[in-house]
Amino acid sequence: MVAAGIGVTLAGFAIAVSSLGMATGNGARLVITLVGIAVSVFGILGILNPAYQKTVVWKR
Amino acid sequence: MTTKRTMGLLCGVAILWAASLVATVSAQTPAAASAPAPAPAPAAAAAAPITATDLTSIKTPSADDRAKGDPDGALTGTAVDVTVSDSKAGLTIADLANQAGQNKIAINFTWTLVCGFLVMFMQAGFAIVETGLTRAKNANHTMMMNFMVYGVGMLAYWLIGFAIQMGGVGAVANLGGTAPLSAEHTIHLFGKDVGIFGTNGFLLMHHGAYDVGVMVVFLFQMVFMDTALTIVTGTAAERWKYAAFVVSSFLLGAFTYPLFANWAWGGGWLATLGTNFGLGHGYADFAGSGVVHSVGGITALAMGIMIGPRIGKYGRDGRVNAIPAHDIVLVLLGCFILAFGWFGFNPGSTLGASSNGNLRIGSIAVNTMLAGMAGSFGAILYMWIRYGKPDASMSGNGLLAGLVAITAPSGFVNPVGSVIIGFIAGGLVCIAVEYFDRVAKIDDPVGAISVHGVNGIWGVISLGLFADGKSNYGGSWNGVSGSVTGLFYGDAGQLVAQLIGVAALVGFIFTLSFVFNLAVEYFVGQRVPAKVELEGLDIPEMGALCYPDFVLKTEGAALEAVS
Repeated sequence: MVAAGIGVTLAGFAIAVSSLGMATGNGARLVITLVGIAVSVFGILGILNPAYQKTVVWKR
Repeated sequence: MTTKRTMGLLCGVAILWAASLVATVSAQTPAAASAPAPAPAPAAAAAAPITATDLTSIKTPSADDRAKGDPDGALTGTAVDVTVSDSKAGLTIADLANQAGQNKIAINFTWTLVCGFLVMFMQAGFAIVETGLTRAKNANHTMMMNFMVYGVGMLAYWLIGFAIQMGGVGAVANLGGTAPLSAEHTIHLFGKDVGIFGTNGFLLMHHGAYDVGVMVVFLFQMVFMDTALTIVTGTAAERWKYAAFVVSSFLLGAFTYPLFANWAWGGGWLATLGTNFGLGHGYADFAGSGVVHSVGGITALAMGIMIGPRIGKYGRDGRVNAIPAHDIVLVLLGCFILAFGWFGFNPGSTLGASSNGNLRIGSIAVNTMLAGMAGSFGAILYMWIRYGKPDASMSGNGLLAGLVAITAPSGFVNPVGSVIIGFIAGGLVCIAVEYFDRVAKIDDPVGAISVHGVNGIWGVISLGLFADGKSNYGGSWNGVSGSVTGLFYGDAGQLVAQLIGVAALVGFIFTLSFVFNLAVEYFVGQRVPAKVELEGLDIPEMGALCYPDFVLKTEGAALEAVS
């Protein structure tokens, strides 16, 4: 799960950067970049953090 | 209840008032980016070139006059003090021109160095804020992390980091050139050559980096980098193994921070989003909401997830236990020191006081203090309305959040925009602290992720919204003519550039920091043993208590549970 979280977080960055090549208008680039940021945030708080929370000190 | 309603009403009125002011300012500004107003044409007489006759007619004080002293200062600093290249020829126009040029660079050197010294002093502020917010049994350890992060970070940056960040920045005109910093490694992306990292300036000797201008740039950038490093120590406080802290901080100062700083400030791909892809003026970050604070805050988030919460922070049923600060006096004194240092952070980022557009330092300083004030008010109001009391530590965090948020836009926004940005930051930091504490269950003893990470990102975005198109730093920014202008003043492209910067922070910098710290976890181990954490880190990790004469509160029940 940790590796998946890292991968998804990095994929969000790749999506945002791809907006530079995939679109020329500001609106389309804005949407793609926001999607990229959302994917990265999900990778961190939706995958990576829960993976660490499974073995967190107060649950032992 | 009545108090809450009154506070809510006051808050609402304040927001409406601020919004109406912004609307007024927006209405007075053309939608398109307005070019800086041209300077009035000089009078013909003033434009006439200086002649040799002019030079010989300059009256200077006689030796007799000077011998009488100069109580009002009228005789000190005249043409006599201009350096003459040939004493036989006397004062020439070339001498005057050289003196004027040297004066400009001397003013800029002095300004940048003094501002750098102020930023260096912020380390003291961070040290006592973090120590005050943690428990007395870990005070020595927390202070020592903040103390040594200065040395560890500086070593890493001198050896490697500075070259990666600034090795390809090119000429910094305000500081007389810095020509040796001219090698940027580039890659080909979507048909454009984009910079990734610099390659000149290792050890401040490589490829002619032994240069007075380069030294000034190094000092100023070094203290900025150290600010980012010290953010992480707050989140991982009270449980971070000291050896792991040293290695982790070295990696951040040598690679992670310089890489993003190169992208934003060293001529890298984010800075050229404007020239290469038509996105406003490229990613703009005047003094480092993103470069400094978000990089530190995002790395703190990675550490917070990886190292886990302190023992006792959460009960077995997941309930949150407050671990109170041990010294509020230190916390608020530290916040004042940081606010003072911020006057070096933001106005100093002009890298000069004597050049085209640099007199905006007055506006930058005022924006800085206004946003700090508004951030403090925002946090106090939020806490007062929600919990019935104006919380001291969150008031301090609100001040810092306002300052963090205004760091990126301080050079590009007006005072009303600054107050709005700071006020939102003050509320945002409280909400973010609650989220990480209660929902995500990421233990952050000092609120560093919320103050620096979340509000650093808010600062980057706010620039893309509130930049008013009135600044003029030599007629262009990041190679794009005209003034930086945000969405509310007509340039949507600037907001997109800012958001791509945010994506780089959240997506790439987080990943890099996380992987580096995974390596530290594997080779060194990040966290101290539970017994050490419960006893306090001062004796096991540092060999001495910070307060040997104090009777420290023990955590008997928890200690028994572990042993």
